[in-house]
Amino acid sequence: MLEVKGLVAGYAGSEVLHGIDLEVNEGEGVIVLGPNGHGKSTLLRAVTGLLSPRAGQVLLDGKDITRWRADAIAAAGLVHIPQGDLLFPEMTVTENLLMGAYHGPTWSERSARLGRVYELFPWLKERGGQLARTLSGGERRMLALGRGLMSKAKLLLIDEPSLGLAPITTQQIYASIHKVKESGLSLLIADENANHVAGLADRVYLLETGSLVRQGPADELLRDKALLESYLG
Amino acid sequence: MSAQAAGAVGVSRPQLDQAAAPWRRPSIWAIGGGLAAGIVLPLLLVRIDIGTYLITLLILFFVQAVVAQSWNLIMGYGGIYSFAQVALFAVGGWTSGVLVHSLGWNPFLAILISPLVAVVAALGTGLPTLAFHELARVFAVTGPRFISGGGYGLVTVQTFQFGDAIGDQRTIYLYYLAGLIFAIATFVIWRVIHSPLGVAMTALRDSETYAVSRGINQFRVRLVLFAISAFFTGLAGGYSTHYNGGISTTIFDFPRIIDLLAMIVIGGWGTFGGPILGAGIVIGLNQYLVALGDYQTLILGLALAGIAVFAPQGLWPLIRRLYENYLAPEPLAPAVEVSPAAPRDTTEEL
Amino acid sequence: MSTQFVQAVWGGILFGSVYGLMALGLTLVWGAVRLLNLAHGAIFVVGSYVAFFVVSKLNLPILVALPIGVLAAAAFAYLMHLIFIRPVIGKPGFDNSTLIATVGISIAVSAAAILIFNPEYKVIPPIISGNFTLSDVQITKQGLLVIGTSLALFALVYLFLTYTRRGMAIRAVSQQQEAASLMAIPVVRTYGMVIAISGALAGLAGVLLSPFFFLNPNSGFNPMIQALIVTIFGGLGSVRGALVAGFVLGIFESFVEVYYGVAWAQPGVFLLIILMLIVRPNGLFGIGEVRRL
Repeated sequence: MLEVKGLVAGYAGSEVLHGIDLEVNEGEGVIVLGPNGHGKSTLLRAVTGLLSPRAGQVLLDGKDITRWRADAIAAAGLVHIPQGDLLFPEMTVTENLLMGAYHGPTWSERSARLGRVYELFPWLKERGGQLARTLSGGERRMLALGRGLMSKAKLLLIDEPSLGLAPITTQQIYASIHKVKESGLSLLIADENANHVAGLADRVYLLETGSLVRQGPADELLRDKALLESYLG
Repeated sequence: MSAQAAGAVGVSRPQLDQAAAPWRRPSIWAIGGGLAAGIVLPLLLVRIDIGTYLITLLILFFVQAVVAQSWNLIMGYGGIYSFAQVALFAVGGWTSGVLVHSLGWNPFLAILISPLVAVVAALGTGLPTLAFHELARVFAVTGPRFISGGGYGLVTVQTFQFGDAIGDQRTIYLYYLAGLIFAIATFVIWRVIHSPLGVAMTALRDSETYAVSRGINQFRVRLVLFAISAFFTGLAGGYSTHYNGGISTTIFDFPRIIDLLAMIVIGGWGTFGGPILGAGIVIGLNQYLVALGDYQTLILGLALAGIAVFAPQGLWPLIRRLYENYLAPEPLAPAVEVSPAAPRDTTEEL
Repeated sequence: MSTQFVQAVWGGILFGSVYGLMALGLTLVWGAVRLLNLAHGAIFVVGSYVAFFVVSKLNLPILVALPIGVLAAAAFAYLMHLIFIRPVIGKPGFDNSTLIATVGISIAVSAAAILIFNPEYKVIPPIISGNFTLSDVQITKQGLLVIGTSLALFALVYLFLTYTRRGMAIRAVSQQQEAASLMAIPVVRTYGMVIAISGALAGLAGVLLSPFFFLNPNSGFNPMIQALIVTIFGGLGSVRGALVAGFVLGIFESFVEVYYGVAWAQPGVFLLIILMLIVRPNGLFGIGEVRRL
């Protein structure tokens, strides 16, 4: 479904990704594992148009979306849940969720989706009228996840779901991602902890200093403790 | 050990710190040549037919360039929108005008007071903004008679007298006085920009949060900037009053602000030479465009908008590049002038 | 009630509505786009002249001219967005460039107005003429219309921003641009929409207010300066602030004018603002940089 070919990207003055080849198939959970600062976020940002790639191609269902604007890519079904959550701070929890469904649906469809997200995160419903900036870290992460689910995503790209969270919250977050996976949505998750993503992954890529150094089925790669240790420390 | 460390610093220095180079010195030859040319120029010009007219244009240029540079100092370098520059000019002009007209002072003495009052006015309101401009205008129009001159300004203020020089001779003296003010203002502003203070103010402009966290005292830096800016603007205002023999309330009219803004934008916002270049261009062009009447304003407006969007750095960087490519003996160090294209704080970072 | 008092209250409410109407468009654009639109007065003038043209040259009634003037102002604002704002969106130096560009546009518009029409004062007929007296104070029906329109527009804009999809998207874009584009919200088009709405508001203000102030190539300038002051007073980017500040300043100005004379009205307002900015540097409702719509 998603195909990335020879993707090169970076920021002013420095190249971060040196030619990435990656694919995600329908219904698959793909994990990009790598230590901090090796280009995981840059990869997701380049795929979803927040950063324009210097070379290479991004294909969605065979369509070249490399030069599309971020909002068009999102509308096409690649939904990116960025690092740092990026909520709308002066909007309520409900409003934040509704913005997730900005593109496309009617209001009745929108409230139906709102209901489904509330079912997944009942806690969000209690906080519906609260301003997003008043939430705690874990709450923000759930809201960001819920907002991503409000859209009609084909593929959800999640950047470091557990970054900066307490262990208990981390568990809750991954539990809810599990539920998302079970619903049949394809996932591309960037993470630095192999243990977290064990149950979510069908395939794993290892990213090191801007290049994918290994890839393979999850049950094979993730069991290779020595290999993981050498890459992730 | 310490010698080694010093050596290492010495090696890495040009790369590391040129952008902040407070120690950068201009070429002695350029300064000397400029001064000599400035001194000789009027003596040559009076020999040609339209020479006197050209000299008066140069005087106008000196005065406007001082104001434009002062404004650029706080707006271009300081990153603070202030629309009070014309008002400060007027404060300087009025101070000197009142001292001479109503109290009988000597104009040469009076214009030394102008900049001081302008500084006090700028710092007193703390915030030289459009509100200040409006207040100054209201005061100039409705104030006591010895200030307002009955609502139209002070129309008969004694002009500068240089012994009994008249005609061209007097114009040349006026030129030298204006040139002196211009030279001092330009030198001081150049020093400020290339001093630690100048680095601090660009730092504040480009990333306020970071600059403050590195221990830059925002309040003090801005205060000093306002003071310097107001000082020279006031001085230019004082000069202008005794050059024209009066000061009128039309000085507050909007086109004055626009002309000054055009100088900064066309020359190069936030660059050292930009306002000077811009003053030359705007004053020069105005001589031709004035015949076009309202088309002049139309063209000026569209040019402003176009340059601001499509060449936000103005013409100065272009001139610099030409100089570097064809005339400079060796590559110049990167300029201190940070274009408006410098990264800024965003709330996302907070 | 004394005549003076009624005069001051009526004047204050009228001034307040006028200031609020102009400030609403300014604050909306600042809040959403971070654009200090100094061409707001020029857009006001564009709307007024188009309406004037429709009324005096095409001999159509003012009720037809009003929507045409409003649409023309919105179109002009959108054109300005396309040519001068859109190219620098997201680039460093956006605020400088657009600020100066809007100054340039406003000079160009007033010059064009002089060239196309002439510098003389024009008269636009009121939408409803006539007046009545209340405690010896003349109340114009057009004045009542302006007050009603201004309040209604504040309510509309508030409801639009709070409850509609596009209105919410405007707030989203103003608060977190990157997240907004990840939610499939077209950021640049949203900017264009806000600028066009703001232009329509300026045009409407132009057509409604010109019967009071007359119309000339610079007649948008003073209302814009007043609006700018109101916006700063109320907190840049705050819709509620623009409403409250408009009325506070309007009523203050009117009372000073009635009780101390016209000459003191402007200085009084400026003194009030300087005092207020010392106490609350970000305006009544502004909370500094972070404050968005």
